[in-house]
Amino acid sequence: MSTVLEQIEQQIAKLSTKSVKKNTGTIRAIADGVAKLDGLSDVMYNEMVQFPGGAIGIALNLEEDEVGCVILGDISGLKEGDEVQTTGRLLSVPVGKALLGRAVDALGQPVDGKGPIDSKEFYPVEKIAPGIIVRKSVSQPLFTGITAIDSMIPIGRGQRELIIGDRGTGKTTITIDTIINQARINRTGLASGDKNFRPVYSIYVAIGQKNSNIVRTMTALEAAGALEYTIIVAAPAADNPANQYLAPYSGAAMGEWFMENGMDALIVYDDLSKHAVAYRQISLILKRPSGREAFPGDVFYLHSRLLERAARLDGKGSLTALPIIETLAGDLSAYIPTNVISITDGQIFLETDLFNQGIRPAVSVGLSVSRVGSSAQIKATKQVAGKLKGELAQYRELAAFAQFGADLDAKTKAQLDRGGRIVELFKQPQLNPISIELQASFLWAMQKNYFDDIDVKKIVVAAAKLREFLTTRKQPLLDKIRTKAALDAELEAELKTACDEWKAGYKS
Amino acid sequence: MSAATKQAKTLARQLFNLSLVDGAVSAERVQGVLAYVEKSSPPNALLVLRLYHHLVSVELARRIALVEHAGSIEPTVLKAIAAAMTQHYGRAITSTAKPNPSLIAGLRVRVGDDVYESSAASRLQALSSAC
Repeated sequence: MSTVLEQIEQQIAKLSTKSVKKNTGTIRAIADGVAKLDGLSDVMYNEMVQFPGGAIGIALNLEEDEVGCVILGDISGLKEGDEVQTTGRLLSVPVGKALLGRAVDALGQPVDGKGPIDSKEFYPVEKIAPGIIVRKSVSQPLFTGITAIDSMIPIGRGQRELIIGDRGTGKTTITIDTIINQARINRTGLASGDKNFRPVYSIYVAIGQKNSNIVRTMTALEAAGALEYTIIVAAPAADNPANQYLAPYSGAAMGEWFMENGMDALIVYDDLSKHAVAYRQISLILKRPSGREAFPGDVFYLHSRLLERAARLDGKGSLTALPIIETLAGDLSAYIPTNVISITDGQIFLETDLFNQGIRPAVSVGLSVSRVGSSAQIKATKQVAGKLKGELAQYRELAAFAQFGADLDAKTKAQLDRGGRIVELFKQPQLNPISIELQASFLWAMQKNYFDDIDVKKIVVAAAKLREFLTTRKQPLLDKIRTKAALDAELEAELKTACDEWKAGYKS
Repeated sequence: MSAATKQAKTLARQLFNLSLVDGAVSAERVQGVLAYVEKSSPPNALLVLRLYHHLVSVELARRIALVEHAGSIEPTVLKAIAAAMTQHYGRAITSTAKPNPSLIAGLRVRVGDDVYESSAASRLQALSSAC
C-alpha cells in the first residue's frame, strides 16, 4: 500500500514542480494608447499581449527589433520598463444568445449594468471571411419595413447594403427601423409556430458615437420590444481608438456565431467613416506610412475584410451587413465612401435636400441601388412595385424640368401628378416600420388608382387611414398575403373589395 | 523615423553582425568594433553605440540562463539547467545564479525573452488573479 502512496506522491511532486513558460518583453515607450515593446520574440500578429494591471494589448506591428501594440483598457498605471507577456491567444469575444438584449464593449464585456454575461463560447475577433464554395447566392428577403427600400432597393439575407448620406439625413433611423421590423417579424413568426420560420437577430455596432446617442438608440429599441433580439456593441467617442477599431470585428464575430449555427443575423456598423478615422489615428501613432488623406495603405482591406464576413452560407445561416458611411456635403467620390461603395452589394443614398423638403426617408432613387435586385423580393412586392423605380426616376427628371414653368402636355402632367403621389406614399414616420403585406396592399391600391382623386397633400393621411383600415378590419386578408407571398386573382379580388369598402367610407 | 536614425540603425546592425563568430558574440570582435568606432567616429556615434549595445545585450541574454532562486541552489542544478536549455534551444547556454527572495520558494529561469516560472510567488499571483 505504501508503494502506491509513494507513486502518487511522486506524481504530485512532478506536477507541483511543473514550470510555466512565458515569452516576455518590456515597455520601451508608451503614448496615445500605443506601446512600443522590446523582446516578445515569439509574439504572433494580432496576438493578445498581457500588460501589468490586467490591461490587454494587440500586437499590430512586428518589426525587426520592436513590437508595436495597441492597448485596450486603462493605460494610466503603465510605465516604461514594465514587463509584458504573450498569451498565445488571438483576441476573442464571447458569442451566443446570452448576449441578446445586452450592451457590450469591444471586448464583449457588459456595459449596461445588468450583470455578467453567461456565455460559454468565444469566437476570434479577426477571422478569414467564408470562401467561394461555402457561399450561396442571396435570394431570401430581409424586410426593412420601409416601403421605399423594400419596394425599390430590396435587401436580401447575406447582402451588404451601404447606407450613405450627410449628417442628419436619417441613416441611423433606417437601421433602427430595420432592427425593429426584424423584432416584429420574429415575434409574429415565432408565435405562428411555423417550423420553417427563421428569425433574424440583430447586432448594432456603435463606433465613435456620443454616449447619449447610444442610450437613445437603446431606449428606442427597448420601447419597441426589439432589444431582446439585439446585441449592442458600443465603442463610443470617449473610448480609445483601439476599441473603436476593434468594435466592428467583435460585432462581426458575434454575428458569425448565428450564421455558423444555422441562424440569420443582421449587423449594423454605425459608422465606418469614424472607424476609418480611428484606424488612421492608430496607424499614424504606429508610424505606418500614410497615403491619401493620411489614411494608411490598408484602409481598403480594413473594410473589405470586415464586410466580406457577411454572407449567406450553404446549409447554414446568413449575416447581412448594413454599414453606414457619413459623407461631407454629399460627396460620394471621397476616399472612404468610394472604397465602401465598391465593396458592398449596393447603396442607399440619403439626400439632405430631400430630407429638408420633408421627404423622409430621404432616399435618392437615382443614386440608390441594390445589386441583388428583385431576387430578394417576394412575388407580391414584385407585382406591385416592379415599375415604381422607373416611374419615380422619370418624375424627378420631369419635376426638375417643370420648375422652369414651361407649358406641359397632358401626359407629362399626369406623370408629374402620379410621381408626386408616389413620393407622398413613400413618406413614413421614423420607428414605424410597415409589414410587407401592408406595403404590398397599399402599393396595389396606388397601382389601381385608388389615390388618384385624393389631393396630393392628403395622400400621407389617406395612406395611413388605409393601413389602419386594413390592419383593424382586414387582418385575415393581410395574413393570406403574408402566407402566399404573392397576389393571385383571388387575393386581388379580396383586395379590391377591401379597398372599395375603404374608399366608400373615406372622407378627405 | 528620421534618415539619420535609420542610418545609425543600419550601421549598428552591420557592426553587430561583424561581432559574431559562429553565431555567438566574440569579445575580441567587440573590442575591434569599439576601436573602429572610436577611430572613425561615424555620424551619430552615440546613437550607433547605444543601438549596438542593445543588440549585443539581447544576443548575450539569449545565451545565458539567468536562474533566480529564493533559497540556496546547488551547482549541479545550475549545470543541469544549462544542459537542458542548451539541448532545448540548440545553442550553447551557460547558467548564472541570482538570489531573489521575493520568489518565496522555487525558481525562475530567464533565457532571452523566455521565462520559465516555477516559483511560489508566481503561483500565488496566478491564484489571486483567478479569484
